[in-house]
Amino acid sequence: MEAFMESDKRMTAKEAIERFVRDGDSFVIANCLTGMPLALVHELIRAGRRRLLLFQQGGIEEVDLLLAAGAIDRLVLAYNLRMGGRGASPPLERAMREGTVQVEEMTNFTLLAMLKAGAMGYPFLPVLSGLGATDVVRESGFLGRERFAWAEDPFTGQKVLVVKGYQPDFALMHVQRSDPLGNGQLWGAMINSKWAALSAKKIILSAEKIVGTEVIRSAPHLTVAPAHKVCAVVECPWGAHPSELAGHYDHDLVFRALYFASLGRPETLRAWMDEWVYGVRDRREYLDHYVDVFGSETLERLRSKPFPSAPADYGYSFRPMWDDSGRSELLGMSLADFQSFLEQRSALIQD
Amino acid sequence: MAVKFTLDELIVCRAAREIRDREIVVIGQGLPMAAGILARKTHAPNALIVTEAGIVGMDPFKIPLHIADTSCCQGYAYGCDMFDVFTSILNLGYVDVAFLGVGQVDRHGNVNSSYVAAADGSRRRLTGAGGAPEFGGYAKRTVLTMRGGEFKETLDYLTTPGYLDGGDSRYRAGMPAGSGPTVLITGKAVFRFDPVTKEMVLASLHPGRSFEEVASEIPWEIRVARPLETTAPPTQKEIDIIRRLAPDISMGRSLYAEVLAARVLSILAKSQRKT
Repeated sequence: MEAFMESDKRMTAKEAIERFVRDGDSFVIANCLTGMPLALVHELIRAGRRRLLLFQQGGIEEVDLLLAAGAIDRLVLAYNLRMGGRGASPPLERAMREGTVQVEEMTNFTLLAMLKAGAMGYPFLPVLSGLGATDVVRESGFLGRERFAWAEDPFTGQKVLVVKGYQPDFALMHVQRSDPLGNGQLWGAMINSKWAALSAKKIILSAEKIVGTEVIRSAPHLTVAPAHKVCAVVECPWGAHPSELAGHYDHDLVFRALYFASLGRPETLRAWMDEWVYGVRDRREYLDHYVDVFGSETLERLRSKPFPSAPADYGYSFRPMWDDSGRSELLGMSLADFQSFLEQRSALIQD
Repeated sequence: MAVKFTLDELIVCRAAREIRDREIVVIGQGLPMAAGILARKTHAPNALIVTEAGIVGMDPFKIPLHIADTSCCQGYAYGCDMFDVFTSILNLGYVDVAFLGVGQVDRHGNVNSSYVAAADGSRRRLTGAGGAPEFGGYAKRTVLTMRGGEFKETLDYLTTPGYLDGGDSRYRAGMPAGSGPTVLITGKAVFRFDPVTKEMVLASLHPGRSFEEVASEIPWEIRVARPLETTAPPTQKEIDIIRRLAPDISMGRSLYAEVLAARVLSILAKSQRKT
């Protein structure tokens, strides 16, 4: 697997999609329901990528927007919020009826297990065998047999349901903060983030804030996207709007209500996308437009009040091997003593 | 004075009574979340609320928008992830009760939340499986709630195992012994399941509902408990708690949508007056 070792991967969302996404790629969205990487999703749509395969845990807007834009034609899916009422024809339903998308139905757990197996480099992973009694296992879509199988537990001989491991080409992920190397730190409901991100061959990361590496190093337990897996870092305030992000903003029900209302018919959704996706160049223009339409106080009302986590103290004595006077308490000698000690004991080699 | 309540309040209160103190409870958004909150504020203050997003021990002060929405609580006891919830919590048998919403249900409590067949042979997609199949399969008890769904002799798609073909078929298919749906709460009635045959039994009618109108929506001859009871109404205390924490649930989905739409229009109007 390719490691991304550059020390500064900052770029715009546009550059990131242009450089790292190809038509026909498979991908996964590594935030589910909360902190959704919607700025990156909008950019993917504007870039006009086609024939993508999406591994989607649970969706609110992403799947419908990507389908309406014609970006994806295959979908491995566990859950997708359906809005607009019985009479509506949201993009997923329409695309399935018209045959422009193939859908593979999974459960939340088995879809994530496919990705976790991929992330661990395992060919397959056991899941909960009772699922074998359902149509999720009995019916299959475009993945056919490359999904569930029955294996024998080598220790008991019992039949165990397993899923095949997958490694999507890329992941889109939004986090609270990252350093320029791409050490992405996320907190709040973790849901699918860790395994979805680690399953991908590369992670395109957007962050509310770029911070110095020293901030990252003081809280390594919060790093979910390790720099070596991250190919691009995009600084993007409000990058998850209208979903919520812990420590930054609440979900925007008013904005979402208008989006949901547009889902009923293709023309109304197209108008919504023309305004909020195609009609703006990037997230900054999107925010300017938001303030024009809803007023800045509507946006400000979404901002979080602080509820900081108790800090994890990573402290020790931090006593160096050699103290200020050049002595080592552990060895009971000074650095100068050390050299003569090595000589005395014939431990030094001369060429 | 007689207590006045909405249908959704009745369902939430009835569902909350399925939770016992010190139980581990998996809940989703909406009605089940309101039931969980209510139970913690009344008879089950030590119930541990879990969502599949990896939020364990949440104490919401309002209804979350979805299962990963932590804006409804200030912190929680254990932040793990979805994989942890399904393995080290569910698969190890820690989940006492799981709440599931229903699109279609059959006589053995099997559930469809994936596809509904239309008259022209096409399929309308519901939300999809989500976490329901594993929770319904592996929680000790499952509480089913159905608003706007339907009873079917044969499901259009089997998403979540109830008692499969009845009797012990569920356990032969690998689900834990003794597990399964214990109750189905609809907008009109409450159903339980026969301990041996595992067939659905009408247990109580909601106030004002008749047996005939309930039976007319069920395509098989529904078995009826004797005596057939009336679903216990909420107490004033329960209603006060629900309205304070979850007025959006109290009023029901369509009224809430109406109120929300009016708010959106007024915000838009206000902002356009300024510009």
